[in-house]
Amino acid sequence: MNHSSKGNLVLGSLRELGTVGLVAGLSGAYAAVLIMTSTVLAAMSEESGGSVGLMLGIVAGVFILIALYVGAIVIIGAVDTVISGRLRHIALLRLLGSRAKDLRVSVVRGTATVGALGALAGVVVGTVLTHATRAVLVARGTLPEADYPLVSSALVVAFWAIAVCAMCAGWLGSRGVLQVSPAAALSGTAAPVTASGRASLLRAVVAGIGIVGGFGVLAAGALAGESAPEAGFVLSFFGAAGASTGFLVGARLVIPSMVAAFSRLLGRDPASVVARRNALLDPLRTTRSTMGLVIGVTLVTTFASGMAALRASVDAWELDAEQRAEALQIMDVTTAVLVGIIVISSLIAAVGFVSTMSLTVIQRHREIGLLRTLGFTQRQVRTMITKESVALSVSAILFGTVLGIIYGTSAAQSLVGSQGSGFVWGVPWVSLAAIAVCGLVLVLLASRGPARRAIDIAPVEALRIEA
Amino acid sequence: MTSTPFQDNATQPVVSLRRVSRIYGEGTGRVAALDGIDVDIHRGQFTAIMGPSGSGKSTLMNVAAGLDDATSGEVILAGAPLTHLDDDARTRLRRSEVGFIFQAFNLVPTLTARENILLPFELAGRTVTREQQQWIEHLIATLGLTERVGHRPSELSGGQQQRVAIARALASRPAIVFADEPTGNLDSRSSREVLTLLRTASREYGQTIAMVSHDPVAASYADRILVIADGHLVGDHGPLTPQQISELLIGFEVGAA
Ligand SMILES: Nc1ncnc2c1ncn2[C@@H]1O[C@H](COP(=O)(O)OP(=O)(O)OP(=O)(O)O)[C@@H](O)[C@H]1O
Ligand SMILES: [Mg+2]
Repeated sequence: MNHSSKGNLVLGSLRELGTVGLVAGLSGAYAAVLIMTSTVLAAMSEESGGSVGLMLGIVAGVFILIALYVGAIVIIGAVDTVISGRLRHIALLRLLGSRAKDLRVSVVRGTATVGALGALAGVVVGTVLTHATRAVLVARGTLPEADYPLVSSALVVAFWAIAVCAMCAGWLGSRGVLQVSPAAALSGTAAPVTASGRASLLRAVVAGIGIVGGFGVLAAGALAGESAPEAGFVLSFFGAAGASTGFLVGARLVIPSMVAAFSRLLGRDPASVVARRNALLDPLRTTRSTMGLVIGVTLVTTFASGMAALRASVDAWELDAEQRAEALQIMDVTTAVLVGIIVISSLIAAVGFVSTMSLTVIQRHREIGLLRTLGFTQRQVRTMITKESVALSVSAILFGTVLGIIYGTSAAQSLVGSQGSGFVWGVPWVSLAAIAVCGLVLVLLASRGPARRAIDIAPVEALRIEA
Repeated sequence: MTSTPFQDNATQPVVSLRRVSRIYGEGTGRVAALDGIDVDIHRGQFTAIMGPSGSGKSTLMNVAAGLDDATSGEVILAGAPLTHLDDDARTRLRRSEVGFIFQAFNLVPTLTARENILLPFELAGRTVTREQQQWIEHLIATLGLTERVGHRPSELSGGQQQRVAIARALASRPAIVFADEPTGNLDSRSSREVLTLLRTASREYGQTIAMVSHDPVAASYADRILVIADGHLVGDHGPLTPQQISELLIGFEVGAA
């Protein structure tokens, strides 16, 4: 990889940039799978001469927007995490005479390069994966034989969109660089940056507008579904995106107390106490660690809930046997697609979680060394990391599930509302339980690496003056 | 090597090092940071450890406190032979018997000053007894921290942070407090305050203290001055004036070069 030396100075190790690349790669794969799936579905519907072509096109377009949105959010989070861990380092560079603007440009250049490389790899892998899955499904007779296109011009669009997103994410994520004062390098402790009262008020207002406005648009989408499903579905997407942005902006006002409440349930031993303090006292870090999981759970729940609502409405329709069979086949194909989406979503969630947790452990290595020096045993350090992870994941799962049910139900309503009467809630209990259990297991597994890394920190680390 | 004048002292030492070596690296990169050190640190004494940069002072402190393993030799801390303890047992020993003050990064950044002071109790899962509570309040008042205990480390000056670290180290009345250049980051007035406090803790409360320092003025507060050069113990003195210490050190720096 060919970064300028300054890029390396600011963003540091390959590992830190690697997170950005990995996320871009996953977004690329995600977008590619969605795009190729929609071309497959389109080819299929042409074959059967159905009128669902336009509808599928819109659904696929919305899926791609979702992939971009998720990718952008996760990349911004990754850049944010990296920068916040290197504030003192950046302050030192500033002290030695680097201009904030130059440092920021080098961050953006770094994330853009790595993001583009990741996106390219991801798009290729996603396309290959989809074709492989399609071949298997055709061989098994689940999908009909048809003239499936190999590539789609939308793939190029997706690649560029993700690369540009990575660049913008670098720009947004590195705004912290401008706020670092050179004097911060001289202070003895690395202070978490605390937002001023006015900034959090502004944040609350923006979040409120996003959430209220988003839900308004979402409701409008569900209503529009009664007459114009295409417009309704697109409206639903923008409503959900607006509300999600509101939640993401406002998350740090809510998530830390949620996490603290859950960690209170985990016990009163010193490891839990310190874990809870950590969650509460650096709300930014806490929120960042949960975002990947919140997004993953929301996505999966949205699809599960949407499918459940669709199924429920289809069951209620008065269809003849042939129509019903056709509807059910489309549903089965969509379910197969969903499995792929779920796998990729969980990957994004897991990668997001592992990378933020690992970075957190790396950034906290001094603090953990200090705790070890003062008498924290290795087991207590492990317990601390695990409990922190559990508290984080429970909050994230709860948050994501509620959002997902709302989004999924509204989306289904906007799609098929015209064909049924009333509003059908999609609450697939079994799937929800499975998502919760899988999410928890995923996080417990994902936290093992960071926990091991934390245990390996020697007490003397805290005493070193550098680092 | 000079023999310790206090060797025959009837009371058992808090820390004993027997032929302790600490070797870093191998082959041409081999560094003997400690090379066969024999020393005892006695209960209730304020001991200063001095020597040129890179002579092995910090290594000595880390090994004596069980933070780092000796390559060979034996370390006995508060009656426990460290070489025979696993990490867990050592951690528990540190927790109850050792207090630490460093040059920088003493405090957990997310905790307030008071929470930092109470951290050793929380870590050990010990409740603070009323008597301990009174002792902690006394320390906070004496250290002039009453107004600042609710603040985070980032909101405190360097000297205040250092005083919080001292309060934490003294709070649980450990068998020994290790301090590595505790005044390295402070101006001369804050330094004097901190050093006076350490001496008071040792004289009035019988607190055993081992302090690493470069500064002859700092070392002049101690009851005993150990000098290390190139991993060897090369001097062991009673209390000295800053002038005497400076002369002593100049001799070694020239000798070492
Ligand atoms: N982790 C390490 N790996 C290799 N060598 C080390 C390591 N730590 C210390 N050393 C070496 O051991 C020797 C003693 O180091 P130590 O930190 O104990 O010195 P010091 O007396 O505390 O110096 P200063 O006054 O500068 O703090 C030095 O030569 C140093 O280079
Ligand atoms: Mg040193």
